[in-house]
Amino acid sequence: MLQFDSTRLKLFLMVLLLGTVPEGFGQQYANFTASTLHPVNDIRKTIALRIEKDRFVSLKMALENLKHRFHLKFAYREGLLDGKMISTSWLEQEDAPEIMLKNILSPSSLLFKRINKRQISIFSGAANGHLNAEGKANPADSSSSLSVMEVRTSQLINGKVTAQGDGEGLPGVSIVLKGTATGTTTDADGNFKLSIPDEGGTIVFSFIGFATQEIAVSNRTTVDVVMVPESKTLNEVVVTALGIEKSKSALGYSVTEVKGEEFTQARENNVANALTGKIAGVNATGLSTGPGGSSRIIIRGNGSLTGANQPLYVVNGMPIDNTTPGGSPTTNDGSRNIDRGDGISGINPDDIESISVLKGGTAAALYGSRAANGVILITTKRGKLQKGIGVEYNSTYTMDNVAVFPDWQYDYGQGDFGKKPTTQAEALNAGRRSWGSKIDGSDFIAADGLTHPYIAQKNNIKNFYNTGTNFTNTLAFTGGNENLSYRFSLSELSSASILPHSTYNRKTANLNVSGKLSKRIRIEAMAQYNLENAHNRPSAGDAIGNPNWAPYFMANTSDIRWFSPGYNANGNETIFTTATVVPNSYFIVNKFKEDDVKNRFIGQTAIQYNLLDNLFVKGTVSRDFYNYNYRNILPTGTAYIPLGEYAALKTDVAETNSMFTLNYQTRFAQHFNITALAGANKRNYEYKELNTSGTQYIIPFFYSPTNLNTTSTVPKNQQTATNSVFGSLDADYKGIAFLTVTGRQDWFSTLSPAHNTIFYPSVGGSFLLSEALALPKAFDYAKLRGSWAQVGGATPDPYVINLTYSMVPGSTTPIQSVTQTNGANVITNAGLKPLTSTTFEVGVDLQFLNKRLGLDLTYYNRKTTNDIVKTDISSTSGYNSVILNVGELSNKGIEVLLTGTPVKRSNFSWNVSYNVAYNKNEVVRLAPGLNSIQMATTVNNYGYVNNIVGKPFGTIVGTRMQRDANGNIVFDATTGLPVKTGLQELGNGVPPLTMGLTNDFSYKAFSLGILVDGKFGNKVLSVMEVYAMRLGFLKASLPGRENGLALNGVTSDGAAYSRTVAVDQLPNYYENNKNYGELFLHDGSFIKLRQVIFTYKIPVRNFKLLKIQSASISFVGRNLAILYKKTDNFDPEQGYTNSSGQGFESIALPRTRNYGFNLMVKF
Amino acid sequence: MKNHFQKIIYTVVFFSAATLQSCDKGFEELNTNPDASPKIVPEYVFSKAQYDAVGDMLMGTIGAMQYTTSFNEVGGFGSKYIFLQGTAPSVVFSNAYPKEINEIGEVIRAVSSDPKNVNKLAAARIWRVYCFHRVTDLYGDVPYTAAGMGYVENIFKPPYDAQSDIYTDMLNELDEAARSFDAAQPTFGASDLVYGGNIDQWKKFAYSLMLRLGMRLTKVDIALAETWVKKAIAGSVIKLDADIAMIKYINGGQDINKNPLALSLLGSDYINHDGVSNQEGGKYQKTFIDYLQANKDPRLGVISVVYVNGKADTSAVLQKGMPSNFLTKPADFVTYSEPNQNTVLLKNAPMLLFTNAESNLLLAEAAVKGWYTDETAASLFVNGTGAGLRQWALYGDAGKISPSQISAYVANHPYNSGGSTGEQLEQIHTQFWVALFPNSQEVFSNWRRTGFPVLIPNVVPNNATQGQIFRRMLYPPTEENLNNDEYQKAIARQGANSFMTRIWWDR
Repeated sequence: MLQFDSTRLKLFLMVLLLGTVPEGFGQQYANFTASTLHPVNDIRKTIALRIEKDRFVSLKMALENLKHRFHLKFAYREGLLDGKMISTSWLEQEDAPEIMLKNILSPSSLLFKRINKRQISIFSGAANGHLNAEGKANPADSSSSLSVMEVRTSQLINGKVTAQGDGEGLPGVSIVLKGTATGTTTDADGNFKLSIPDEGGTIVFSFIGFATQEIAVSNRTTVDVVMVPESKTLNEVVVTALGIEKSKSALGYSVTEVKGEEFTQARENNVANALTGKIAGVNATGLSTGPGGSSRIIIRGNGSLTGANQPLYVVNGMPIDNTTPGGSPTTNDGSRNIDRGDGISGINPDDIESISVLKGGTAAALYGSRAANGVILITTKRGKLQKGIGVEYNSTYTMDNVAVFPDWQYDYGQGDFGKKPTTQAEALNAGRRSWGSKIDGSDFIAADGLTHPYIAQKNNIKNFYNTGTNFTNTLAFTGGNENLSYRFSLSELSSASILPHSTYNRKTANLNVSGKLSKRIRIEAMAQYNLENAHNRPSAGDAIGNPNWAPYFMANTSDIRWFSPGYNANGNETIFTTATVVPNSYFIVNKFKEDDVKNRFIGQTAIQYNLLDNLFVKGTVSRDFYNYNYRNILPTGTAYIPLGEYAALKTDVAETNSMFTLNYQTRFAQHFNITALAGANKRNYEYKELNTSGTQYIIPFFYSPTNLNTTSTVPKNQQTATNSVFGSLDADYKGIAFLTVTGRQDWFSTLSPAHNTIFYPSVGGSFLLSEALALPKAFDYAKLRGSWAQVGGATPDPYVINLTYSMVPGSTTPIQSVTQTNGANVITNAGLKPLTSTTFEVGVDLQFLNKRLGLDLTYYNRKTTNDIVKTDISSTSGYNSVILNVGELSNKGIEVLLTGTPVKRSNFSWNVSYNVAYNKNEVVRLAPGLNSIQMATTVNNYGYVNNIVGKPFGTIVGTRMQRDANGNIVFDATTGLPVKTGLQELGNGVPPLTMGLTNDFSYKAFSLGILVDGKFGNKVLSVMEVYAMRLGFLKASLPGRENGLALNGVTSDGAAYSRTVAVDQLPNYYENNKNYGELFLHDGSFIKLRQVIFTYKIPVRNFKLLKIQSASISFVGRNLAILYKKTDNFDPEQGYTNSSGQGFESIALPRTRNYGFNLMVKF
Repeated sequence: MKNHFQKIIYTVVFFSAATLQSCDKGFEELNTNPDASPKIVPEYVFSKAQYDAVGDMLMGTIGAMQYTTSFNEVGGFGSKYIFLQGTAPSVVFSNAYPKEINEIGEVIRAVSSDPKNVNKLAAARIWRVYCFHRVTDLYGDVPYTAAGMGYVENIFKPPYDAQSDIYTDMLNELDEAARSFDAAQPTFGASDLVYGGNIDQWKKFAYSLMLRLGMRLTKVDIALAETWVKKAIAGSVIKLDADIAMIKYINGGQDINKNPLALSLLGSDYINHDGVSNQEGGKYQKTFIDYLQANKDPRLGVISVVYVNGKADTSAVLQKGMPSNFLTKPADFVTYSEPNQNTVLLKNAPMLLFTNAESNLLLAEAAVKGWYTDETAASLFVNGTGAGLRQWALYGDAGKISPSQISAYVANHPYNSGGSTGEQLEQIHTQFWVALFPNSQEVFSNWRRTGFPVLIPNVVPNNATQGQIFRRMLYPPTEENLNNDEYQKAIARQGANSFMTRIWWDR
């Protein structure tokens, strides 16, 4: 039965059909044939080359055809093509664009040059030394048909013009002596000759798609020029939803494209982390969980109260899976609390051609529900037409070092009650406490039972962690002929974490093939196989199994190396503290065993059938499948859990998408271009997990699941499906005004059958002011854009409609309980309906002063309604959480991108790009009677992250010391301790303000890129400092160590209060500070020197024999320095989970500084 | 060209129709959890509620009642009143509602509709009282009436009921449920892990709980206490060893099938059974071992061992309790007594929920108060003392105490009928302390009510109670975040959420 939101969809489909087909198609066809009937005399020029019975068409029209067929853009001087005709038979060929272009252009003696992937510049191939007369694009080139001989000349200069990037000669470059009509163009190899007057002058080099250069010449005879591609060009093409390429001018919304090279040199293992600071409005954070860890990316603020806030990842038009097997780490979950890596971390940066970030709803509307948080579109590299096999080799070696060290106190050493340990028992008892006597260099008995000098051990972190290494090698082969092109790459990433014995290895094979089976049928296929192996990923959060505790919290006069290798002759843990819940880190790295293997396959095939030249159908199937096996052994001999524990996870995840689209292009009433698309998509998602856990190895040290006292295996089988139909209509008028309308209807399997579908439309438009009006001269380009879009969404979790009951597997008597999700009872919601995210955005894109200065400004307003909220509730309800369908969340913001080229000379250029985004987030509404929901808590509930009505997403909630009107601390006269307030809002865990500044310098063969980024306005609650206070590491725990701490304040009835805390009661007093979360709250703002790339382009002409096309070597660095921060003891980005619980620091692996070298060679 | 046009139209129409037809076909089936049943089996959920309620224990009371101690700061919650961190004091509260209380509510709803299920309903109602009294006795005012109604009534922030109201309702429930059994109707049968569906025993359990809860009111409302105690006695309480309410466990299956106290003690301290490498530094406390030794209690060797050369030794003379004020691991740590692996730490040991010893000792108190005249306090005391020794046989061979040892012990501990009421009660409730070990949670309630045994508080630095034994446990900190309005009302009524605030029946 048809269940869709019928009236709206039907109307939409009708508009789509009526609006395009009958009128548009017929008229276009008429126009096309009319324009082929040209006067005979115009045909003469081409007739000699190819005479057949067929008709002729203007060259302009022919290029228009190719433009749509191959998604290309052509640039040429106004008038260059006028009057030129070609045979339509050329257009009936099905060839690679280069071949077709050559065929079409050569009869008119025209040449072409690819400026970038999609842009082609066409120029006259007329004999060197003469200007083509038609040009009026170049103001210096006004008079016609002046030959060089007519100008007074006395010196001849020559030189070569090359293009920056590939270094190859650039043909067709216009060269004019400024202020005169003297000029020439370069030949096919980029060489030129020009005669100029004795006194010299300024030569202007111009070429479409490249920045114009002016060079003063006096007594030089050779002038070599490197043309720099224009960073912004009028016809920039970007990849948009479903892999559709569109002119940037046509977009009613903001899209940012980042080229693959930006990820391949200074690389992050997880490519998503490399987006940090690059794009306005994209808040990317790499987690502090070692190589192979996950990322968290938030685009334009958190749009869902508790659901997934990360964007959808799409490779070559089809979604991929980005789940973290077994879920994200939490604050408090023992040794299995590790980050097992997300889906995007499996993509090899070297395979990426470009990444487009679709920030708004309009951009993403065609992707449907999961695109509500934006889309990250990855286009992988493809094969290209070339002679022989192209080989690319890319190698990077980098090293990691701990970047931030805590600023502990080193005045008082290990011990209790102001005394240093005098026996091993006392030292063990105070193994992690620095409440001892003044550090004086005298002898003391340490926890290893030996006598050591009582001196500060400041290097425990340095001594425990290694230098991490990352070595990546990628080899890629490309090639192709007219019928088939391919790219095949092999890559290996081998990482050793700073944590000893923790490694990560990723092997990737990627094959991309495209070909044409006949004149009308094209196929494309991509296959990627990943093999990821990780060992001993570090856990975060609570102490059990967390190797990061001891380096931070070993008493400050103990050297961590005294406790290496962490085990005794019997294989049992050697402890450094009687609080054995805090493990010896050496025991963990040497004896704990954590292994995981991920086998992942991503396959895509597409077949396109061209029913007509302007109508095609396309079917695409993609499947992203992975199989993950994880094993975690808590070994025999662990002091806290002596008989050990075992955990294993076996996960099979598959995301399958089948898509069918129909694409039609036409033109009507001369100036209107129309593209219509209709399609359907079926998505199936499957998550199967077997979770095995067991305790107590029967035979010690034999780690098999068969050797456990207790085991249990719990299956988890989740299946979801979304079916969709969608359509879009793109129209443009004269390349000045653009309009896009889309609509999509989704059906979700996870929602109530009564409300499982939603239709949502979008509309966007843009207007090229600079084309329509005569703007002041300084304006090169001005575009206004605006869009409005809705995206519907559903809960990603199945089975949350009805309450169900599950058996306890393996019990000796039948036991049934309310079904638990991740160990919690969840109140299901039988009426679950789709949520809606509505985005409105307007923007302006301006370029001034010969495109030396650019401004891209966007305002957006995004609102999520009927949000599906899974919130913790009081356990006294009988349940731990509930799924509600009522939330409303608003994000409003401004994004600014400023680009500039302060210096542009032939051998030196300096480009600056600055992006800044401010996002104002507000929780507008929760459920009736609910004004706050809880998303996360720290271990022991020192603080919470709540969503509170009227406040931004992610408010950190905790307590403060009570103060009177004058700011005096209020003391409880009975306990002598400061009175604790109730829970209060302490700050926002998500930075509203983010920015990035890129400076790129290029001098001859050298280039230097520097990225500085910052995030501002958020708070971080440090769990590490709560412990550091209690254990006597914080400098704030120093007052009173000699003579006691004098307290002054008032009592609750306002009377003056004072007392002195005795030295032996100090730990008790300071430990109580855990009750006041405000003491451990810090401003999380920072500015970091995020990335430096210094590249030398090796002059490959010297290696002609090796057939090297290009080669470069770079020094690369990531996270090199923190230029500004307000946290003394940790990196403000010290995140340990990519879940919604942002705003806590919780003793994760320290963050690192990363630097090394990159080598790129192309054969 | 007309052809082309039609082709497009047809393709679009056909394709849209084909897709839309199947737009949500099979979705309901797809959205059905293959590993879960949409239907409740009340029997199986009742078993779960029984296991969960018994396993939901507060480990801190075993130290607070001076049975055990540790030198370790982290393990110092119970015997040292050091509460450095963690949710240990709120664990019973946090676990009870989503587990046993929700489960028993589901069972009650499932069996209520059919009058034939009257016995199942009665057992479930009694069990619900058992679940709730363990929560309210630790915390005082707690959500009761509206608790566990998250799914059925969408109550996400239940109000806290006053403990006096909770007690009134619990006692009424026991009364009604006990009277509603019908021998002609089916029971939970084997799914009833306590009595296997035996209706008579369930009645005795109900009246015994009524006796326990009625006695709880002696401090706050002596008249009400008398009413309920008399009603309980009239209904007939557990008077035979065979009627002891207990759950048997086995050393197999899943953790839920194993003795939860043994699992917890092994997991925190004694799994290596070598006397040295106790993870949290736990040992028996001096107070307890000294008392057993001084009274030549034959239970000493049953519950306690000392490791000599790595071997467990039960000799009474070797047993030694560790002082509770140690802050570092003593050099002679190995020489202190710890729980016997063959009794207290057996994974297949039973958990005794209501013993013959408890009912006899409570009846002895009733006799002292003049509420019960069928038997004398002296004979009830003797019955209770003997039952307290005999019950260790339920732990297996290592728990068996010979009849001669028992009679000797009973003979050595004659009931002093001539003492003052206070002296008599001290005698009864000190024996109660020994006889109910290791059910420290019930002993903690009994101690708060009677003040016996007289325990000398442990004073160590960093303690959270100014050196006093705590009087209640703490609400979970999350309640302040998730149910703040109701939480604040409870605090306004009962007092601060602190260890020393006294709950209603303790005033």
